[in-house]
Amino acid sequence: MRGHLSQSDRARAARHLARIIGRGDSLDHVVRRETNPLCLEMTYGCLRHYFSLAEAVEERLARPLRAKDLDVLCLLLVGAYQLQRMRVPGHAAINETVSAVRALGKPWAAALVNAVLRKLPTRPADDASEHPPWLQGKIEALYGDQAPALLRANNQRAPMGLRINCRKIEPAAYRALLNDAGIAFDDAWLPESILLRKPQPSATLPGFRDGLVAVQDVGAQLVGGFIRERLQGGRRVLDACAAPGGKLFHLLESGLQLDLTALDNAPARLQTLTEMAKRLGHEGFATIAADACGLDWWDGEPFDCVLVDAPCSGSGTLRRHPDIKVNRTPRQVRQASQLQGALLRNLWRTVRPGCTLMYCTCSILAEENDQVVESFLEAQADARAVGVELPTGTATRHGWQMLPTEPATDGFYLARIDRQP
Amino acid sequence: MRPVSLLNILTFPDPRLRTKAKPVAAVDSAIRTLVDDMLETMYDAPGIGLAANQVNVAKQVIVIDISEARDEPHVFINPRIEVSGPPVETDEGCLSVPGFYEPVTRREHVQVEALDQQGKPFSLEAEGLLSVCIQHECDHLEGKLFVDYLSNLKRARIRQKLSKSQRVRA
Repeated sequence: MRGHLSQSDRARAARHLARIIGRGDSLDHVVRRETNPLCLEMTYGCLRHYFSLAEAVEERLARPLRAKDLDVLCLLLVGAYQLQRMRVPGHAAINETVSAVRALGKPWAAALVNAVLRKLPTRPADDASEHPPWLQGKIEALYGDQAPALLRANNQRAPMGLRINCRKIEPAAYRALLNDAGIAFDDAWLPESILLRKPQPSATLPGFRDGLVAVQDVGAQLVGGFIRERLQGGRRVLDACAAPGGKLFHLLESGLQLDLTALDNAPARLQTLTEMAKRLGHEGFATIAADACGLDWWDGEPFDCVLVDAPCSGSGTLRRHPDIKVNRTPRQVRQASQLQGALLRNLWRTVRPGCTLMYCTCSILAEENDQVVESFLEAQADARAVGVELPTGTATRHGWQMLPTEPATDGFYLARIDRQP
Repeated sequence: MRPVSLLNILTFPDPRLRTKAKPVAAVDSAIRTLVDDMLETMYDAPGIGLAANQVNVAKQVIVIDISEARDEPHVFINPRIEVSGPPVETDEGCLSVPGFYEPVTRREHVQVEALDQQGKPFSLEAEGLLSVCIQHECDHLEGKLFVDYLSNLKRARIRQKLSKSQRVRA
């Protein structure tokens, strides 16, 4: 069912977009309080198809706009998205978008918006890659024949994965709750993993408030599952970049009695993690707000397993975060890979000889994955990569890469590095 | 793989290139960092000039280096220009319109008033390539590209070729 799209929804979507496109704010942050699903669809859609929509609009823009009128440009994108991708009848899309200039406080722009939208074709551009040239170039160079499918996959909507909290409910019992609620789903690879046929607000899931379930990509769950299978009770585990906590909670739900430490350098994000832990009923782990590039937080007692879920470009999550395509810069990728190398070198000192470091990212770029591991291995005589195998994805030289071409998962990378005894 | 520059250089026809830049209120450390990043991006690209709009910063900042040895950077903040002299035609290219060079007619001389990286006002007279480059970059700050001087047919052809390169190549 499609509800009514009001002028103010359109204006709000344009304002969200102007913050993201003009100021570089993150999509997640900008829409954190937006509840209208149509406004969300327009905001996500305009970013997902930014490059072809922007091209169509630019061609019909008679003269440049002032920097402070970026919201008008964004309203044009919103109009173009409705015309080309939402099947809003053309006259309605145009009239309502033109009227929305008043909600933006820019009535002078009505004629401009009208003129541009009337000239726009209603058919979307054929096979536009919808990636910035630098990122498309990297993907084509890395993935060759696979690149077209990967580029197309990146432009799809993200699936919604759930992780059943096995500490609170049996997986079969939770599946029964979903069936009772009439929510269609598929099983994924792990007993606790669920893939919804259609995304829905998490608060409307059965038992969500009581912590029976958490939202987590099923590929991320495969990473957690892989680590869990290699742990035994009583082990001392460090999650070095823990927030928002998905993998940490997954380990806590394993039923193993682990001595877990969650480290993150952002106190606000640790606070969110603590609140989520409360909802899921998890306690008995330590949280430390500190920089994982230093060791001043460490008591000197080595860990049996160190998980480094490193900050990265997010290039494996473009379906979920289409703003990455519009705002990420090559420099940020380079900075991420430098930080990743620094994290590995520093945290290696906390790994007990004979034990393991697990390195993962949500990137599909080798410079943040295999190349980081490779330079680490070259410099570290007591480090050895051990092959990883997961039910989906492909082996790389040092680890394993999942790709969004398997529609159930985001693009994750995982490497296992053992420290020689 | 071709090395890529550091900041993301927007490519025609991205409409963000059509945004007019705002004057810089104060030349502070953030602006100096922007200038350094822009210079590095320009040298890395490689190009001889870069305007802040091209890296999605709507501020009146330009960097230029036309020297062979790449060691004579010019920085113009809030530039105001006056052109004079006879018209001259030069083949122009642009980091935001990769791979295309077309003749554009501009005036021979330019007189610039601007602030430098320390926020100090200076003026400069230029001709030849430096003059052309300053005029080209100042156009960027107004949301204008060199392709706007070409015939509709030529501009459409460039647009088409660039958009083709941004399709999924099956």
